Amino acid sequence: MLAEFGGEPPLASLRRQLAEGRIGRREFLRYAVLVGLAVPEALAEIGAAGTARAALPQGGTLRLGTRVKDIKNPHTYSWGAYDSNVCRQVCEYLTLTDHDNVTHPWLLERWQVSDDLQTWTLALRPGVKWHNGEDFTADQVIWNLRRLTDPAVGSSFLGLVKGYLMREVPDGTGADGKPRTRLVLWDAQAIERVDAHTVRLHCHSPQVAVPEHLFHYPALMLYPGDNGVFGPGAQGTGAFTLTDFEAGKLARVRAVKNYWGEGPQLEAIEFIDLGDDVSAGISALASRQVHGLVDTDPMQYPALHQIPFLQFYQVSTAETAVLRVKLDAKPFDDARVRQAMRLGLDNTEIMQVALRGLGTAGQNVHVAPVQPDYGRVPAVRRDVAQAKQLLADAGYPTGFETTLYLPASPGWLAAACQAAVEQWQEIGLRVKLSVMPGAAYWDVWTKVPFGCTLWYHRPLGVMVLGLAYRAGVPWNETGYANPAFDRLLAEAEGTLDAARRSAVMAELEAMLQADGPMVQPLWRTLFTFMDHAVQGFTMHPSQYVFGNQLALLAG
Amino acid sequence: MPAGSLLALLARRVASLGLTLLAASFLVFMLTQFSPANVARETLGAYALPEQVRALTRSLRLDDPILLRYARWGGVLLGLKADPLQDPRLGLHFTDPRGARYFGNFGYSTLFRAPVADVLWSRLANTALLGALALAVIVPLSLALGILAGLRPGGLLDRLISVSAIAMTSVPEFALGVILVAIFSVALRWLPGTSPLTTGAGWPLASQLVLPVAVLAIYDSGYVARMVRVAMIEVLGQPYIRTATLKGLSRRQVILRHALRNAMIMPFTVLMLQINWLIGGVVVTELVFAYPGFGRMLLQASLFGDVALIEAATLIALSIAILTQLLSDIGYWLLDPKARG
Repeated sequence: MLAEFGGEPPLASLRRQLAEGRIGRREFLRYAVLVGLAVPEALAEIGAAGTARAALPQGGTLRLGTRVKDIKNPHTYSWGAYDSNVCRQVCEYLTLTDHDNVTHPWLLERWQVSDDLQTWTLALRPGVKWHNGEDFTADQVIWNLRRLTDPAVGSSFLGLVKGYLMREVPDGTGADGKPRTRLVLWDAQAIERVDAHTVRLHCHSPQVAVPEHLFHYPALMLYPGDNGVFGPGAQGTGAFTLTDFEAGKLARVRAVKNYWGEGPQLEAIEFIDLGDDVSAGISALASRQVHGLVDTDPMQYPALHQIPFLQFYQVSTAETAVLRVKLDAKPFDDARVRQAMRLGLDNTEIMQVALRGLGTAGQNVHVAPVQPDYGRVPAVRRDVAQAKQLLADAGYPTGFETTLYLPASPGWLAAACQAAVEQWQEIGLRVKLSVMPGAAYWDVWTKVPFGCTLWYHRPLGVMVLGLAYRAGVPWNETGYANPAFDRLLAEAEGTLDAARRSAVMAELEAMLQADGPMVQPLWRTLFTFMDHAVQGFTMHPSQYVFGNQLALLAG
Repeated sequence: MPAGSLLALLARRVASLGLTLLAASFLVFMLTQFSPANVARETLGAYALPEQVRALTRSLRLDDPILLRYARWGGVLLGLKADPLQDPRLGLHFTDPRGARYFGNFGYSTLFRAPVADVLWSRLANTALLGALALAVIVPLSLALGILAGLRPGGLLDRLISVSAIAMTSVPEFALGVILVAIFSVALRWLPGTSPLTTGAGWPLASQLVLPVAVLAIYDSGYVARMVRVAMIEVLGQPYIRTATLKGLSRRQVILRHALRNAMIMPFTVLMLQINWLIGGVVVTELVFAYPGFGRMLLQASLFGDVALIEAATLIALSIAILTQLLSDIGYWLLDPKARG
């Protein structure tokens, strides 16, 4: 059995850890499901089962204010909730990470993982059908997974699984004469068809976050006959079908009959584009043109809070702004400078200014306390004198001038940067802000010497660290390359024991606090407002909407 | 200017339109090519791997010299070449029901992932509707206010109208929008607070146009009314007005027969310029009311770096500006006998 559990079966170990108080109920639920315990049984063990949902009213059209972006190619979605929320009602994922960060089987009935965390057996849920009546099968899952891992498709899913499902092979030489490589599945049988309703993933290295990766927003299960293209009339297994779509204006989905799961209660959902102006969202809610907003800005809070017929929803998340440097750019190549930059900031104050208190202070570790694998590290405190001393030791006794690049949207990024810039002045850093249009920034986000990057919520800390700080991965925007860090990260990814993994994570976080390439001052609490008529809504940390769970009170 | 001269003027204007559009298209193309964003990155999304971006850059030949790329863009527009983004071998699933090669093909919008023609014209129509309604309010309101104020300069009515006109023009569009929403949508609940042009919430389309039209009319009428006032005062001081009065015509006859027509020459030009503003310059109003219009689309395209859409929108806005200028010249020719020779 697993070495991490000291020869003890994983479930028994988890039960013991829960009884000893070493892990909480949420962690127990998350890991028990991970090692194959069914969700109802796991809930029963923590005494949370049996809470039947009240009967929800039927019918009605829910209207949500959002941005309506292009939705044509689900496997290449890059707008997070904006594009996936429409498709999510029609097509579904193999797994589902809920608002509490617990990942459940969804189109899967269950999964099983080998002791070495390298073989994942995915059993499909029986009875799931496409809207045209066809069965949902293993062959279709394999078609989707192969497409998601095809570099020619351009899915960001590839970046998540690159470390355990892919390998690089030579691909001739480029125009510059340097050898080129391309990514392929590491083995022809890496995605194996076991039978008509079972798929097995063979990984070349241990990976504990496979269920979370299967809920990455582009990893929607599409109908192969649609050839990867989504639009009105496209097939899906979900509770709704897309009937109307106009980018920048409106998307409308209508309930299907005979959905395999719970619901839907609603007759239809309309996603209405309200643009980027924060006042439009307030006006639309105030005049009841929409029942709620998918995304809200901290600037909207004071006005929305005053509207009596609205219900406030919030959730702590791992969404953050990272003020990161390129490690090959002077003066950021000196660890003392980076430490001085961290010591020069009061993270709590920055959070208060940027988020109006709707968040928590960061610890410069890019792993959030809400993520179950978070390891406890000391809180960071501002120390202007020590920061100045470190700068002097690094050869900058009077500080230095630099430019911080950031995207114009969302607006709270600029507020956070402005607050940081003002605090840095005290230690001698003279930072000029260069606000760029979003698209322009995303073209250079991995290149600018000093930039502010928005990182969305992810259910596990290892996912973020693997994407952003492992040496050589595409989204490593800082050029951070620390073999000891990578070794520990691989250990964390291959450790199932919750307590032990948190201990490894604490070591990783301490490394980032000591010589990391960034300041990470805050965690965002996401919030929204919905009309009291909306029933069944829970704020998801990634702003995902699950239409089959929602209902509307009449009148 | 005889009728023949008018034809010559028209011919010159049309030639000038062609040359201006050519020069502007080249300038915009140059500017967008030098912006940090690029077509390959935008097409593939923020999270595509660098090698994927490089591969598409090669496929689209985006590394070719800029003149060559401009000529290729022009070829697509004139229907001489197929739009390269629609090449099925790229696997982008960019398709246009009109085909990849037709006259007037502005290409594919990387922001909306749709043919520019599908995005552009519907938004232009929405803005044209908004602009037409606003103009229908602005013209009579500003003429009435300007004429009334100009009749007795310095009088109580003039002072009242002038102060009101300055106040109307001084309040920024976004502030005016928020104030009107606070009154009519939040407090009174008479009107919807946004204008997404969908009717699901039970607000008729007509009701969604009231507040944006009101913002544009209030904001612009004050300015035009002041122009009309100045023109009116100037005309009323002319010798032929004094002559008409001395001939024994009533005040009403003097104003209606002699003053008004001449006083309209300058405001007519100003009103023509308002059409340009109402088509391309009402970005703020469209943003505040979430109105799916041309100005908001152009702003989004510019922020995203959607070259094809920026090019098309710029050329359309420029064409409208030149055409309204032409209309202004014709109107001037009709209103002013001296211009006709």
